[in-house]
Amino acid sequence: MPPVINKEKCVGCGTCAQICPVDVIKFNKSLGMPEIRYPEECWHCNSCVLDCRQGAIRLRIPLPAQLLYVDVKSVRGE
Amino acid sequence: MLQVKEQLTCDVLIIGGGIAGLMAAVGAAEKGASVIVAEKADTRRSGSGATGNDHFLCYLPEYHGDNKKEIIQEMEESQIGGCCDPELFELFADLSGDQVREWHSWGIDMKPRGDWEFTGHAKPGRPRIFLKYAGHNQKAVLTREAKKRNVRILNHHLLNQILLNDEGQVAGAVCLDVTEDIPSVQIIACRSLIMCTGNTTRLYLPKTAGWMFNTANCPACTGVGRASAYRIGARLINLDMPHTHAGPKYFNRCGKATWIGVYKSMDGKPVGPFVKKPTRELGDITGDIWMEMFEMRRKAGEPVFMDCTETSPEDLEYMMWGLSNEGNTSTLDYMKEEGIDLRRHMIEFQQFEPILVGRGIEVDKKCASNVPGLYAAGEETGNFRGDIGGSATFGRLAGTCAAEYALKNRSQASPELKKLPVVQESLDFYEQLFTRADGTGHPGWKEANVALGQIMNDYAGLEVRSENMFKAGLIYLRRLREKTRNILACTNSHDFMRCLEVLDLMEVGELVMLCGRERRECRGKHVRVDFPFTNPLNNNKFLQIQKVSGEPVLTWRNKR
Ligand SMILES: Cc1cc2nc3c(=O)[nH]c(=O)nc-3n(C[C@H](O)[C@H](O)[C@H](O)COP(=O)(O)OP(=O)(O)OC[C@H]3O[C@@H](n4cnc5c(N)ncnc54)[C@H](O)[C@@H]3O)c2cc1C
Ligand code: SF4
Ligand code: SF4
Repeated sequence: MPPVINKEKCVGCGTCAQICPVDVIKFNKSLGMPEIRYPEECWHCNSCVLDCRQGAIRLRIPLPAQLLYVDVKSVRGE
Repeated sequence: MLQVKEQLTCDVLIIGGGIAGLMAAVGAAEKGASVIVAEKADTRRSGSGATGNDHFLCYLPEYHGDNKKEIIQEMEESQIGGCCDPELFELFADLSGDQVREWHSWGIDMKPRGDWEFTGHAKPGRPRIFLKYAGHNQKAVLTREAKKRNVRILNHHLLNQILLNDEGQVAGAVCLDVTEDIPSVQIIACRSLIMCTGNTTRLYLPKTAGWMFNTANCPACTGVGRASAYRIGARLINLDMPHTHAGPKYFNRCGKATWIGVYKSMDGKPVGPFVKKPTRELGDITGDIWMEMFEMRRKAGEPVFMDCTETSPEDLEYMMWGLSNEGNTSTLDYMKEEGIDLRRHMIEFQQFEPILVGRGIEVDKKCASNVPGLYAAGEETGNFRGDIGGSATFGRLAGTCAAEYALKNRSQASPELKKLPVVQESLDFYEQLFTRADGTGHPGWKEANVALGQIMNDYAGLEVRSENMFKAGLIYLRRLREKTRNILACTNSHDFMRCLEVLDLMEVGELVMLCGRERRECRGKHVRVDFPFTNPLNNNKFLQIQKVSGEPVLTWRNKR
């Protein structure tokens, strides 16, 4: 689930749901809280993380979108 | 039946509040036009420029001197060249400097290190054309500037159809308000319309199966501008020429030119001809202008890495700062969390799936299409591309020109748009999408998007293009599109929006195949295995497609 909301920190301002460019986050009016309703549609743009004034959101990058990296010295046998 | 809201009216309607759209809004409002921007998401964070950019293409005489010709040549030979009309390059060169200065005056820092600085995307010994800037706040600033000029922004409103009056002039549009769980219909009357909906993601699929939105560019940009413009008779151009980007493998984000390193093989050999040691001045432009190398090397059994291990500590810091201005803070956060240390680790890069950027609606020097009242700017346009610089500069110009046209035609009566047959047909279709969902067994948009993407990847992709592949692909795609229209279903605003996106993409996909089939030669990334020759007779030519009497008609024209 790409964006993860810390419910302790979230104050239910609704900004993240308004600004997500691809409508991943919906604001649940009856709960007064945001919901990650379409996690697999996240673009990993970080807008929600940047705009949450409470610092309540972090992104968890899904495994298929992992970066591929190697340690230079070890692959070159140095 | 979806609720139809009271019709709105304006002089200039802008579709898409990305970079081009917001600049168009500023340009049109300054001319005295009443302006509405219909934006699918929220202009503060929408589109490919959502979280920032850091390279602005431009010609700045005070930096470059009066050598405009050489700068234009460098633009043509960069990643944005190939499908641009020379007359538009010329115009862009003349206007882009003013755009830079204006952005700076608004608080987008175009001189974040004190003076004009051009770094990255550069060849050794050649002039540099990308201004380094700090664009992290660009969407907030442009939204503020548009609002200051009384532009009305309708967030969470997406376009579906452009409407014409009896004279064939643009008269308005059908938009959908997706703010609530069930959408409502918002018809907007206008005298001119500027299409600024960006590129076409999700037409081809990224390699990360199941994660269609893991794309380098904004996945909300799905070809609606091209599809809806084509339906009303606008000419599209250069759809046959695929474009691809490159970047970190599997974590698909734009921004390769901000990396300061050298593309290398596993054993440390530089892959490209330009740099052996990392420098902030040049970057490694190999990934901009020879993206095929990633697949060529892969087929030779060699992954290609971005190696920053020899980058100086100062340049590494500069690069991290650049990435954060460029909207790549998610990449930085991820590297930190994962313990990726660029002083020790190389990151594998890849070529991404094709998109249409600078392939689309054909425009003239006023950003006007062949349909009276229809304008376009940004990645939407088919015969010019300048990424952020181009979108900003021509967005503003489109706004000015569309406003002049609208003000001249202010006396023109606007028809009752709701009664137009195309509106009624659209309303019926929306209704069907919702009522089908009551039963069972109807597919949703995801199935349709995957089905489309796999056909595009295989039959109009990069690896193999040929007469019979296009022929077969067209049969499959047309069948899929017909079927999809008849069985697709949704239950809420979100899925409704996605359904319309997929249908637009299918229409665009078909046009891509028709154009690709017509170009019977190899050129750039259009690799025809049945026509391996690059025909010099086509060097000066672009391919156009237009709907005439209900049928697609293909024509060639000389570059202008
Ligand atoms: C991470 C990243 C880094 C980049 N870095 C650079 C850089 O440094 N330099 C550079 O030159 N370029 C860069 N680019 C590219 C640059 O961001 C784009 O060229 C630019 O944003 C294009 O502007 P545009 O207005 O054409 O499209 P966009 O800015 O993408 O705007 C299109 C808008 O249309 C909206 N829309 C889509 N469909 C509809 C609809 N049906 N109805 C209403 N609205 C709709 C979208 O929501 C969006 O707001 C980068 C891109 C990314 C993703
Ligand atoms: S922006 Fe932050 S505080 Fe506001 S609703 Fe979202 S998570 Fe909660
Ligand atoms: S990272 Fe971007 S796309 Fe993903 S939920 Fe946050 S705002 Fe939406």
